[in-house]
Amino acid sequence: MTPTIGLIANPVSARDIRRIVANAGNLQITDRVNIVLRMLQAAHACGVQRALLMPDRGGIRALLERHLRRGHDASLPAIEFLDMEPTSTVDDTFAATRLLQRAGVAAIVVLGGDGTHRAVVRELVEADPGLPIAGLSTGTNNAFPEMREPTITGMAVGLYAAGRIDAADALLPHKLVEVQITGADGRTRRDVAIVDAVVTHDRSVGARALWKTSSLDAVYLAFADPQAIGLSAIGGLLQPVGRQAAGGLAVQLASDPAHALLHLTAPIAPGLVRPVPIAHWQRMVADEPLTVQLAAGTVALDGERELAFETGQTVTMTLRENAFFTVDAARCMAVAAQQGLLRVPVPS
Amino acid sequence: MAGNPFPQSKEQLLQAYRTMRTIRDFEERLHVDFGRGDIPGFVHLYAGEEAAGTGIMMHLGDGDRIASTHRGHGHCIAKGVDVVAMMKEIYGRKGGACEGKGGSMHIADLSKGMMGANGILGAGAPLACGAALAAKFRGKGEIAISFVGDGASNQGTFLESLNLAAVWNLPAIFVVENNGYAESTSRDYGVAVDSYVDRAAGFGLPGVTVDGTDFFAVHEAAGEIIQRARKGGGPALLECKMVRFFGHFEGDAQTYRGSGELDDIRSHQDCLKKFSAAVTSAGVIDAASLKAIDKEVLAVIENAVKQAKAAPQPTAADLTTDVYVSY
Repeated sequence: MTPTIGLIANPVSARDIRRIVANAGNLQITDRVNIVLRMLQAAHACGVQRALLMPDRGGIRALLERHLRRGHDASLPAIEFLDMEPTSTVDDTFAATRLLQRAGVAAIVVLGGDGTHRAVVRELVEADPGLPIAGLSTGTNNAFPEMREPTITGMAVGLYAAGRIDAADALLPHKLVEVQITGADGRTRRDVAIVDAVVTHDRSVGARALWKTSSLDAVYLAFADPQAIGLSAIGGLLQPVGRQAAGGLAVQLASDPAHALLHLTAPIAPGLVRPVPIAHWQRMVADEPLTVQLAAGTVALDGERELAFETGQTVTMTLRENAFFTVDAARCMAVAAQQGLLRVPVPS
Repeated sequence: MAGNPFPQSKEQLLQAYRTMRTIRDFEERLHVDFGRGDIPGFVHLYAGEEAAGTGIMMHLGDGDRIASTHRGHGHCIAKGVDVVAMMKEIYGRKGGACEGKGGSMHIADLSKGMMGANGILGAGAPLACGAALAAKFRGKGEIAISFVGDGASNQGTFLESLNLAAVWNLPAIFVVENNGYAESTSRDYGVAVDSYVDRAAGFGLPGVTVDGTDFFAVHEAAGEIIQRARKGGGPALLECKMVRFFGHFEGDAQTYRGSGELDDIRSHQDCLKKFSAAVTSAGVIDAASLKAIDKEVLAVIENAVKQAKAAPQPTAADLTTDVYVSY
């Protein structure tokens, strides 16, 4: 099969209220398109012949097509847009993930923040958890996608998609937190977080973004990096848990700051370093559900309030290991160097 | 009942519903009356966009000023302009908000901080800068908001105003009501970079995008932006992604829309349906209370039309009043 990759680029990540309340950054659409072009050029240079892209009505497709109309760009693979009608909601990401999985792409490159990556993973774990993703960071609180020059991500994905590096060398397994809300009638809702599932006292999802420590109740983390920005930093600064380490971390906040075990100073959003009252914390063991204590509130998934729950509903958090895979760009490039994959012999 | 899960009080939620329902019924009624030929001039209806105007205006007082657009009825109602005076104005009758001499695109009521709808696209933004400068001098924490459509955001006046507001650090807020079409031109075609937040960034202003059909999202984001401006934090842009249920103007055949598009947005993106579902499923307001409001609002609109039709036309002598020159 022609080496093919998928691309899901979210035009609306990094547009939420944290630009007002926290001086968070804004990656402009033109720069997002430049990132896409750099990644695609690098992937093509390493063997990718075809790229299937999610269409959008937020400007990325329009600017890409304007670039392509300017003339044939031999440095790019053949670019096709998926046959779907954009709705400009997260449903586009879900639909595109399904279409890319059915099209048999070797990997899906995701351009967005934690929220966009979560949306792709949520769909993949249902359909094809073995299909790897590769992240390009453009969101606000990016704990999941690492900051890396897109050219390098494109090369790594290209080498894997072209079959020049095998899965054992190229892919990394990841954990996630599975959220389940069960009503008194036994009906359940399920969702996932790839970094943090956060229980808040807020009773409606409102503008979705989360930035007030006073509303936080508990934090459930798939991994906890002390260098992270966002709510996972709370765990990262208490008891770091690596991305590939066993288990996760659950942190219960103190409802009354005066009775907290300690106050942790944590970067909960860009520019917002705040004291967080901590009650206690514990490791999460894989496949062992923890029950949320709060009676009613919302669950924020990877930074956005998503699920409201009421009294009488039971919310559980379960850590799952080996839930999905990423293309490990650092490892791919190291393998490329060790095996001389990018050396071209000079004809004698 | 599990208590009120929303950050707004029950009274505020009822007020929000009443305002949105009033706008919807006002516009639905104009759609019918204009089609019958009862109304002079042109009307541009706000139906479908109610959550944005309502969610923003609930944070404002009469001392806060807004500059509206050609699609201004919803802004007027949400800002507290009397619906009878509005209806009379649209019918071109004496006793209208502007004595029947302005019509739909020129409704103003300075006592409510409503500086006027505006027939000139993009003309409201400089006016809002002026009002914001005055507010800054007054020092009472008042602000000014300019509403602008996605099409008018391409006007020089709008972009110049972003610059001026940034340079003078004005308590000015620019709300882009992005309903996807500049008259009949899709934003995909007519906007070079389809992000209004990016435009704000070009002038050093923060910008936020929200689902303009979600009252709760608009209300929360607008609250933060307005509070920031009141405290001297300066200008910002709020993009509300929304839908309009009618054409650009009444009589617009809307051949530019996709097949089934209108049915789809009325089914899935109706801000009133979304609001009603949220408050009733949370058990804060029951369906009967909403129905009672529906009934009251219908009577209010019916009365407004009745009074408008019964009101006299302006006379020739009225032409020389309310103007800057003495005759």
